[in-house]
Amino acid sequence: MNFEYTSIARKQHAISFVIETNGLTKRYRPDVVAVNGLDIRVKRGEVYGFVGPNGAGKTTTLRILVGLVRPTSGSCEILGGKPGSPDTLSRVGALIETPAFYPYLSGRDNLRVLSRLAGIDFSRIEPVLEEVELAGRADDRFKTYSLGMKQRLGIAAAMLKDPELLILDEPTNGLDPAGMVEMRQLIRQLGHGDRTVLISSHLMGELEQICDRIGIVKDGRLIKEGTLEELRHGARLRIKASPVDRARDLIGALEGVGEVQTVEGDVLLVEVGLSRSAEINRLLVDDGIEVSELCAAQDSLESAFLSLTEEAGFGK
Amino acid sequence: MLFSYLLPYFAFTSDSNFRPRGLDKVLLVELLPQNFVNNILASFPFFGGTIALIIGVLFLGSEYSWGTLTYAFTQRASRLKVFGGKMAALGVVLVPFVALVFLFAFFASLFIAVREGQAVELPPLWQVVRALGACWLIMAAWSSVGVMIAVLSRGTALAIGLGIIYALVIENVITVFGKQIELLSSLSKFLVRTSGYSLIYSLGATVQSEAGPGSFFGDYLSVARSCAMLGGFVVLALVISAAVIRWRDVVGNT
Repeated sequence: MNFEYTSIARKQHAISFVIETNGLTKRYRPDVVAVNGLDIRVKRGEVYGFVGPNGAGKTTTLRILVGLVRPTSGSCEILGGKPGSPDTLSRVGALIETPAFYPYLSGRDNLRVLSRLAGIDFSRIEPVLEEVELAGRADDRFKTYSLGMKQRLGIAAAMLKDPELLILDEPTNGLDPAGMVEMRQLIRQLGHGDRTVLISSHLMGELEQICDRIGIVKDGRLIKEGTLEELRHGARLRIKASPVDRARDLIGALEGVGEVQTVEGDVLLVEVGLSRSAEINRLLVDDGIEVSELCAAQDSLESAFLSLTEEAGFGK
Repeated sequence: MLFSYLLPYFAFTSDSNFRPRGLDKVLLVELLPQNFVNNILASFPFFGGTIALIIGVLFLGSEYSWGTLTYAFTQRASRLKVFGGKMAALGVVLVPFVALVFLFAFFASLFIAVREGQAVELPPLWQVVRALGACWLIMAAWSSVGVMIAVLSRGTALAIGLGIIYALVIENVITVFGKQIELLSSLSKFLVRTSGYSLIYSLGATVQSEAGPGSFFGDYLSVARSCAMLGGFVVLALVISAAVIRWRDVVGNT
C-alpha cells in the first residue's frame, strides 16, 4: 500500500479547500476498482454536488473521506487533516448511505449516544431535532420511524457537532416528492456561512437545484468538475427545420457559429449567440426551408452528464 | 438455574423407585444452601459459557447487523477507543449477571431447604466471592471468544452458529477423543472448556463425569494455569478483534 497523507495544515489559517484528493484510488480486487485516480477540490463554504450513476464510486469515496475505508493509493486531506483522525472527525458531520441507529432506542436517545461518542454536550440535541422537524417524534423508538424520519434523524446526527464540513450521501433517498423538496430546502439552509456541504446523488436534476459546483464521476473517475454553467453547454439555439440537412449546411457555413448538432431527427442544436436568432431565421426562410421551431436551448445537467460520459468513452 | 436446581429438584421429588438407593440424599444435600456455591459453579463452564458466548456475539455483532458502526466510528473517538469502551462495558455487564445467577441460586437453595425441613447453613463469604470471581473470568473468556467471532464474521447469526458449534461440538469432540489420541489430549489442555472446568473443580465444584450436558472427563489443569489460560483467551480474542476492527474497512450497512 502506498497511500500517503499530506501534512496537517495549521488551524489558525483559513483553508480554501476543505477537501482535496490527489489520485485517490480504492482497489478491492485487480478487476474491481471502485475509485480510480480521483482528484476533487471542494471549496470552503460551497455546496458541492458529487454526481454519478449507481456504482460510480461515490459512496466509497465518501467512506474514504470519513476514514471508514482505507484507500489503496493517492492522497486525501480533509480540513487540512487526515481522514478519520479524531481532530478531523470532530469537525465533520456525515450521513453515509442509509441512516443506521439503535432500533430499540428513541431518536433522542440515539443522539445522546452519538453525543457521548463525539464528546459534546447534550445541549445540541434539541436544536438539531428542531432543525429537522423531528422534535415531536424524538421519544419514539427508531424502529417506528418512517424512511423520511430516519433520513431526517440521520441529518440531525450529522449536525450534532455543528460541523464545518457536512457530508451527505443520497439524503433524499426514499423520500416522497414533498420530502425531497423539504430536504433540498434544509440542505440549502445548512450550506450557509462557512459551513461546506458535500452532497452525493445519482439524481442530477436534484443537485442542479442546490449545488454551487458539481463533480461528475463515473466508473470511479472524475469526468468533469465545475460550476453548473461550466458543465452545461453555453447558449444554444434549438431549431426545428425541414429539410434539416440543408438547414444544417447553411447554418454551418455562417461565420461565428460553433458546433451544429442534429438531434431528434429534424432538430438542430446550434452553438451561437442568441442575438443571431433573427439572422438565422431569415437565412433559412429565404432559402425555402420551413422553420417550425426556433428558441433558446438550456441544457440540463442530465444531458450534460450524458454528453460528457459519451465523450469520455464510457457506457460503450 | 434450570439444570442446577429446577431439574435436580424435580428429579428428587419424583418417583424414587426410578433411582438407585441413597441417591435421594445426595441429590438433596447438593441443593441445600451450604452447597449452593459448588452447585452453581458446576453450571458455569458449559451453560454459562454458552450464554456468555452469545452475549459477546450480540454485544458487537449487533453493531454490524444494524450498521451502527458507521456512526460510532465517525464521531470523534478512534475505533480502538470505541471498541475498548464497549469491551469495558461488557466486562461490567457480566458482574451483575453472575451476581444475579448466584442470588437466584441461593434463594432456590433456601426454598428447597425450607420446603424439605432441612437446616440452613451458609457457605463462608470468601468462598462466595472467590466463586463469583471465577465465574466472571469464565464468562469473560467465552464472551471474548463471542466478540472475536462476531467481528470476524461481521454479524450475529453466523457468529452465534459458529460459536455454538465450536463450544458445544468442537471442544467437546477434542476432549472426548483426547482420551484416546495423544495429540488431542495435548490440544485439549488449551481449550476454554478445560480451563473453565479445571478452575471450578479446584474450587470444590462437583463436575459430572458421565456423558451429557455439562459433563467433563478430561485432565484437569492447576488453578494457576487455568486462570492464566482463561485470562489469555480474553487477551488473545480481544487483541485479534481490535486488530481487525482497526484495519478492516467498514463497508455498507449489513
